[in-house]
Amino acid sequence: MMGELIARNLLHRPLRTLIGVMAVAVEVALVVLIVGLTSGLLTETAKRIEGIGADIMLQPPAASVFLGFSGSPMPIKIGERLSEIKYVQSVAPVLLQFNSTGGVDVIYGIDPDSFRTVSGGFVFIEGHDMEGPDDLLVDDWAAKAKHIKVGDTYKLLNHDWHVAAIIEHGKGARLFVPLDTLQDLVGARDKASIFLIKCTRPEHTEDVMEEIRHTLPGYTVRPLKDFLSLMTSTNIPGLQAFINAMIALAVCIGLLVIFLTMYTTVIERTRDIGVLKSLGADSSFIIRALLSESAALCVLGIFAGVGLSYAVRAAFLAGFPTLSILITPGWILRAAGIALIGAVFGASYPAWLASRKDAVEALSYD
Amino acid sequence: MGIAATITAPAEGPFFQGKKSVEPILKTENLWKLYRAGKVDVPALRGVNFAVQPGESVAVMGPSGCGKSSLLYVIGGLAQASRGKVFVDGNDLTSLSDAARTRLRRHKIGFVFQRFNLLPTLTAKGNIAIAQFIHGDGFDPHRFDVVTQLLGLAGRMHHKPSELSGGEQQRVAIARAIINEPKILLADEPTGNLDSKNSEVVLQMLRQLNKDLGQTIVMITHNPEATTYFDRVVHMRDGIIVDGVPAD
Ligand SMILES: Nc1ncnc2c1ncn2[C@@H]1O[C@H](COP(=O)(O)OP(=O)(O)OP(=O)(O)O)[C@@H](O)[C@H]1O
Ligand SMILES: [Mg+2]
Repeated sequence: MMGELIARNLLHRPLRTLIGVMAVAVEVALVVLIVGLTSGLLTETAKRIEGIGADIMLQPPAASVFLGFSGSPMPIKIGERLSEIKYVQSVAPVLLQFNSTGGVDVIYGIDPDSFRTVSGGFVFIEGHDMEGPDDLLVDDWAAKAKHIKVGDTYKLLNHDWHVAAIIEHGKGARLFVPLDTLQDLVGARDKASIFLIKCTRPEHTEDVMEEIRHTLPGYTVRPLKDFLSLMTSTNIPGLQAFINAMIALAVCIGLLVIFLTMYTTVIERTRDIGVLKSLGADSSFIIRALLSESAALCVLGIFAGVGLSYAVRAAFLAGFPTLSILITPGWILRAAGIALIGAVFGASYPAWLASRKDAVEALSYD
Repeated sequence: MGIAATITAPAEGPFFQGKKSVEPILKTENLWKLYRAGKVDVPALRGVNFAVQPGESVAVMGPSGCGKSSLLYVIGGLAQASRGKVFVDGNDLTSLSDAARTRLRRHKIGFVFQRFNLLPTLTAKGNIAIAQFIHGDGFDPHRFDVVTQLLGLAGRMHHKPSELSGGEQQRVAIARAIINEPKILLADEPTGNLDSKNSEVVLQMLRQLNKDLGQTIVMITHNPEATTYFDRVVHMRDGIIVDGVPAD
């Protein structure tokens, strides 16, 4: 009976119900997408770094897992000392450069030979390896997103590059240029931001890392297979707080709209509330009826919100194929829980107001 | 039964005097109701003494503003008395908490209003069923059938209030009020919004409820003809009962 009452009430004002449902849907979608975008980007970046194929990464002292944030580059000479360590098979210096034209990218300045031995080489979809100083390698996703073809001239860092090849994605960056050219361009002659190290056997990773810490005290040494677990929003200063603030904002939208919806509902149904009281309904019945109605509205909104999340993701991925948005059941459930708590909370004051209404006054309300 | 009673107990006199030996189902003692309007208290009831026997049907008449509705709300437990006592089926309402008054109303009182007051989103059936749901015994199909048959509503159960005539709406409201077998049915001008033909139907049905099912009824009315359907008429003026002195 309660179910029928709630369903009929929701259907009675379809537009108001729809607005309430949409507000909750937007709330849920915002939470799911914001979290999905950040964790998607982080996971995707981490996978790309893991995918390089090296065993160890050396960074300057106190460097972040987020490579673009790394401090001042190291002298390239360090590479020679690394190659002398036992069990080290090869060492590749890489100079990283942020590029923010047409999205945010990290450009890797590499020495093709050493990078090949460390990573096992690129898979060339089209074109050939770096030969000239202006050769640029682009991964397939970036090529698709930016409409780049082999043979094109592509402007990057105020320099005209010749697109030598489209390579398969997953080797750290999406754009690769010769190390020397990049060093000259950014004024970092004989410098490298990171060194990638390949051991003779993966089992030696620990030993080699220990030895590096010994020879180069203070430098940051990380095994590449740890990147996935290290790349979380809590590791970026302020990012988690930002995500939390966005979630709070989304919850506020849902809460306010639910509040307004239920508040107008209670005003509109003043006389009905008087009638229920005349039939012997107590405060708890009135409160339960209204909170359940708000919760029902919210559940509809949650389903709409999940649908909206997938639709928005599909739309974004169609427009920006390099974007990664990770929608997880865990966060859908969490967003649903947050929305539900918000809906009950938003409806609690109107429900309390309704339960406190004077029955006689309510019955004479027009 | 009335005849048998007068024959076997002639010493007790006419029918309703004879019933006085029974505990009244409803009784007020020096009942006051004050409304606060700004800084002054407006008395709506000023010492009402009133009793209704089980199975009795009573019409309450009086000029507008004399306190009829106030009396009904207080004895139905919807409003609180300011002074005095109200006994419903032996329970003193004035000594009960809000929650206890609500419970008593749920189990012993049925209300019918001038404006029908059906829930607009529910069907006729839903309006009756929700009273059973609030009452707590769940849906009783037998009682439901008896009541809807009695009120001639059998074919109209799946319509919403907006699809029913005024007379039908008021019959649904009466069905809702009596579905849980209340001790007392309280009606506040139930024919006030009806044309004379529908009024007559509703009054007939109230009388039938009283005669056939023994339903105790207290009804407020402005219509002198309506009183002919009732056992007794009580007149009010200025917040008190002025029995025997016609007030209108
Ligand atoms: N909520 C209220 N606040 C202040 N005064 C009120 C309130 N309700 C009723 N009154 C006053 O109490 C008195 C009795 O009102 P009540 O509604 O009981 O009269 P009534 O006999 O039912 O009148 P009517 O025949 O017009 O329905 C009136 O003077 C009215 O103005
Ligand atoms: Mg009145």
